[in-house]
Amino acid sequence: MSYRNRSIVYGLYNDEEVLLDAVKVANEKHLKIMDVFTPFPIHGLDPLLGLEESRLHIGGFVYGSLGTLTAFLGMTWIFVQDWPQIYGGKPHWSVPAFIPITFELTVLFAAIGMVVTFYIINGLGPGVVNPYIDPRITDDKFCIAFDVHEVNQVDAEAFLSETGAAEINAKTL
Amino acid sequence: MEKENTITEYNFTGTSRLVLLIGMGLGVVCMILSFFLDGGVEHHARFWSNFLHNSVFFTGIALMATFFIAVCITAWAGWYTIFKRVWEAFSQFLIVGFILMLIIGIGIYLHWHHLYHWADQTILNPENEEVYDAILHGKSAFLNTTWYVIIGGLIVLVWVFFAYKLRALSLDEDQNGGDANFSHHRSMRWYAAAFLPIAGFSSAAMIWLWIMSVDSHWYSTLFAWYTGASWFVSMIALTILVLVYLKNRGYFANVSAEHFHDLGKFMFAFSIFWTYLWFSQYMLIWYANVGEETTYFKQRIDHYPVLFYGNLIINFIVPFFVLMRNDTKRKYGTLVFVSIVLLLGHWWDFFLMLKPGILHTAHEAAGMTGEHGGFTPGFTIPGLLEIGTMLGFLSLFLFVAFSVLSRSSLVAKNDPFLEESLHHHV
Repeated sequence: MSYRNRSIVYGLYNDEEVLLDAVKVANEKHLKIMDVFTPFPIHGLDPLLGLEESRLHIGGFVYGSLGTLTAFLGMTWIFVQDWPQIYGGKPHWSVPAFIPITFELTVLFAAIGMVVTFYIINGLGPGVVNPYIDPRITDDKFCIAFDVHEVNQVDAEAFLSETGAAEINAKTL
Repeated sequence: MEKENTITEYNFTGTSRLVLLIGMGLGVVCMILSFFLDGGVEHHARFWSNFLHNSVFFTGIALMATFFIAVCITAWAGWYTIFKRVWEAFSQFLIVGFILMLIIGIGIYLHWHHLYHWADQTILNPENEEVYDAILHGKSAFLNTTWYVIIGGLIVLVWVFFAYKLRALSLDEDQNGGDANFSHHRSMRWYAAAFLPIAGFSSAAMIWLWIMSVDSHWYSTLFAWYTGASWFVSMIALTILVLVYLKNRGYFANVSAEHFHDLGKFMFAFSIFWTYLWFSQYMLIWYANVGEETTYFKQRIDHYPVLFYGNLIINFIVPFFVLMRNDTKRKYGTLVFVSIVLLLGHWWDFFLMLKPGILHTAHEAAGMTGEHGGFTPGFTIPGLLEIGTMLGFLSLFLFVAFSVLSRSSLVAKNDPFLEESLHHHV
């Protein structure tokens, strides 16, 4: 989801409740919102914007399973095939002893895999410069942004001023 | 606004009473039958072990309900307030649990049963050279009838006091609360905070006495935690089942998928916590390979393999894979399915903790020595009489809980966290 090189009209609101009401009005008027930017998660915003549940956790399950297999099969190969030794009179294939490391690698693979996936999907990472609309949306402003190719600029500005936006601006990211 | 649409009084109808009374009747019939159909195990060990098994299981659920109310109050939690009366009703079963465990305790004095090897006085005397048991003699400062009956009884009475007090304050808050100082809630916070360490230490002592001491030569420092986690998961599972039932009957209209989601998360998390403790106990004993310790698992793996491995499958594999997804914790179907599986699963877990040790003691008391394999009714696997007894105790538990529930408002209307609970969002 890169917003690079898009011309937008956006309004900054001072209160998240006002913004929630504004999103409802936009849905009624069928104005297509490009995105909403807020400094913190707002309860009830996701269903209003029609956002689907993230599928990141499915990735997490796959990465975790991969970690389970890596650890378990890896230890099996090392302790049974490659370098069999006897520890404390236990058999080479001592499943209980493998469980803690299997658990650790499951968590490690799931965590790192999900972080990397998240960064790639969102175009984040070291050295990447992402455009931002206004620095105050990380502090105390709540922003609704429209793409002028999708919504007429005049309509968008009228909507923003009607629903109580404190500031209305246009810019190209 | 939302509060006014809710039914605030629970009506414990004649039909519900009748169903639960029939359930209790079934339990009594099964207990009488198991008293006589003892499968060749002497001293009515089948009857008494079933009695102990179910008393311990349901008393523990009541304790965990009390404990969790105290945890939530101390943690400033607000999500549960809307249905806290259900836990308060569960907690009142402790009084019945006290009576049930007292019967077992009196039975030790009057030699009604031989559940506990350490209760035999003759093995503690060094002059009886043939039967003298140095290990149990060494443990006799703790494993004795005074600790079991007198101190154990006092500990349960302390639990009863806190369960009663927390509910009484909550009910009084309905009538006289709502002041600007939240004086009732402040008072509850004191009692809750005082109960946490008391419950933490005393529950461990009771678990050692009631459950771990049936394998009287064996001990494990993790055992109390592991049993406590088992109780806790059972309590959450029963809470979900009761809440779903009450919602179907039109009560608790405000208890939403959000509240069930949190209950589901607790059930999921504590199932994994249980597995973690189970495995930690197993792996340390397996690794160290000391004969005194491995005997517990050796006995169970050799003679009870279905129960032993099945225990892990139903109490870990099922909740782990079913409840892992977000939506399965929010849908009644999956949530009720897992709750039933876990309630039975942890009952099964207690079966596996108690029965092998009791059978071993019964065989020793009957003068049998050496290995004894083969099938013993009521011990090798839970039979029909065991399941019937469990249903009887479950009916008793629900009868007490519903009676208590019907005697107060379902909504703690002056609880300062009520509004937060109504707007709970996960």
